[in-house]
Amino acid sequence: MTNLAGVPYYILEFGDELVYFTPYTITLFLLALTFTIFVLISMPERQVDIAFGGDAYTTKVISVSEMRFRRFMAIACGLASMGAMVTGDIFNFTLFTAMVGITNVGIVAAVKSPHVQNAAYQYGLVALSATVPLFGGAAIYAAATGSLSMIELAKGALPAVPFVAKAFLVLGVIGEGMAPFYAAKAEMFRAPGAPYVIMCSLSSLLIFLRVIEVVMLG
Amino acid sequence: MAGASAGITAGIVNMLGILPLWLYSAVLVLSFPVFIIGLFLWWMAKEGTEDIPFIGY
Amino acid sequence: MIAQLILATLTGLLLLGIHRKVIARIQRRPGPPVWQEILHMLKFSFKSTWIPATASTVLFRGVVLVAIGIWTAAFFVMLTGGSLLVIFGIYMLHKIVEHGFGLSSGSPYGKFGGVRSVISAASEIPLFVSVAAIAIFTRSFDISDIVAYQQVHGPLMFIAFPAAVAMYIVILSKMPFGPFSIVESKELVSGYKTEHFGIWRAGLEVCNGLKTTVLLATFLMVFVGQLPILWLGAGMLLLVVSLSFACALTPMLSPFDSVTVQTLVTGLMLCYGAVLFIGVRA
Repeated sequence: MTNLAGVPYYILEFGDELVYFTPYTITLFLLALTFTIFVLISMPERQVDIAFGGDAYTTKVISVSEMRFRRFMAIACGLASMGAMVTGDIFNFTLFTAMVGITNVGIVAAVKSPHVQNAAYQYGLVALSATVPLFGGAAIYAAATGSLSMIELAKGALPAVPFVAKAFLVLGVIGEGMAPFYAAKAEMFRAPGAPYVIMCSLSSLLIFLRVIEVVMLG
Repeated sequence: MAGASAGITAGIVNMLGILPLWLYSAVLVLSFPVFIIGLFLWWMAKEGTEDIPFIGY
Repeated sequence: MIAQLILATLTGLLLLGIHRKVIARIQRRPGPPVWQEILHMLKFSFKSTWIPATASTVLFRGVVLVAIGIWTAAFFVMLTGGSLLVIFGIYMLHKIVEHGFGLSSGSPYGKFGGVRSVISAASEIPLFVSVAAIAIFTRSFDISDIVAYQQVHGPLMFIAFPAAVAMYIVILSKMPFGPFSIVESKELVSGYKTEHFGIWRAGLEVCNGLKTTVLLATFLMVFVGQLPILWLGAGMLLLVVSLSFACALTPMLSPFDSVTVQTLVTGLMLCYGAVLFIGVRA
C-alpha cells in the first residue's frame, strides 16, 4: 500500500514542506473551500424561539460586531482546515489541527448564552489536552523515521512508524472533536449563526477524514 | 441554464475525445446541481412572500 | 455519463418508493404506489417556493447544491472505480449537509434535526473500520482493485462478514423510517428538512435518490463484486426489501438509544479490526 487515496495529481515542493493533492484530499479541500466561501458571503440566520402556549415567537439577532468576530474566526477555521487537507507534512498537519481547535472555541465564544459558553469551555479543555498526544505523535514520527514528509513516508523506504505514534495522532484528532468527545461540541451548536457554527463540525470531520489517510502512510 | 449548457458542451467535447474524463466529471459535478435547481426554479410556480419558519400547529 | 446520472437518480427514487411500499405492506397498510417518490420530486419542484424570512439565504440555497454535488461526485467515483475512501468521506460529509439544512433556516425543529445529526456522528466510525478491514484483505482502497480481488478470492461478504454487517447497519441508519433515522423523526415535524420545501425539497429528493443508488451499488460492488447490470438491479432490490423489513419491524429509537447502539457497533467493529490487524501482523 504505497498510496491509498490515489496518485497525487500535483506536488508543490517548497523545501521539505510540500503540498500535494490526491483525488481524496482535493475532494476534502474543495468542500472546505466551498463552505469557507459560504461563510464569507452569507449572513447569519435569525433563530426562532417559540413561546409555548401561544402564537408568540422571538428571533435572536446577532449584532454586527459579534458577527464580524465570529465570521473572522470561521474563516480562520476554514483556512486552517484547508491547510490541513493539502499539507504534506505531519507537523504542519498537527499545527493546523490545533489551530482548528482554537478557532472552534473562537467561533462560539462570542455568543451570549451560558449553555454555549459552558460547552465551549469544556470543549476547549478537551481540545487543549488533546494537543499533547497530537504533537507527541508527530514527535515520535520524527524520532522514529527521521522525516515528517508524507511523500517520503509513502515511499516506504523509511523505517516503519511505531503504532503508538499513529495512535497518538488519531487520539489527538479525536480530541479535537470526534465521536466520544462530541458531547460538548453538540451543545455548542445551540449557538445561532449557522454558517459559522457549521464550520465547527465541518472542520473536525474533515480533519478526522484526513488523519485516516495520514496514519495509513508509512 | 448555464449548468445544462456546460454539461452538454462537456458531454459533446468528451465524445470527441478532447476532454479528459476527470475534467468531464468535474464539470458535471459542478453543473448538475446548478442545472437541477435552475430547472426547478424555471418551472416552479410564482414565488410567494417570505414568512417566518413553521412554529407549531 | 449524463444519462447514467439521471438514471441513477430515478432508480434511487424508485427504490425509495419500493422501500415505502414494502414497509406499508408489512404494516398491513395499502401504501403509496412505488413511483411515489419520483412523483414527489416532480410535485415539489413545481410548487411555489420561498425562503423563510429568518433564514441565512446563501447557506439555505447553497447547501442544496452541495448536497446534489457531493453525491454526483460519489456516483462518478463509484462508476470509475475510484477510491472507496472518497465515497465514504462524502458519506460522512453528508452529515454537514443535514446540519446545514437544519440550521440555516432558523427554525427550532430544523435546528434540533441538525443537532441530532451531529450527535449521531458515532454511526460513521463503524464504516471506517469496515473500510479498513476490507483494505487489510485487498491491500487497496480502489473499488476497481477490490472488485479484482473478489474475482480471484470470491465475495468479500463471506471473507469479511462482520464488515458487511457493519456497513449494512450504516446504510440502514441512512434509510428513511429506520430505527436510527432520528434526524427526521416526527416529533421534530420533518427534522432537518422542515423548512426546505418546494424546489429545495425537490433538490433534496434528487440527492436522496442518488445517495440511495450510490450506497446500495457500492455495498454490492464491495461485498459481492462486479455484477451485470440486471443482477446489480436485482441485488439492490433485494437489499432494499431487507432494509424495509428492518425498518418496518423496529420502532424508531430515542436519540440516546440510537447513539448507544451505534457506539456499541463501533466498539465491536474496532475489536474485529484489531483482531484482523493482529492476525495480519502475526
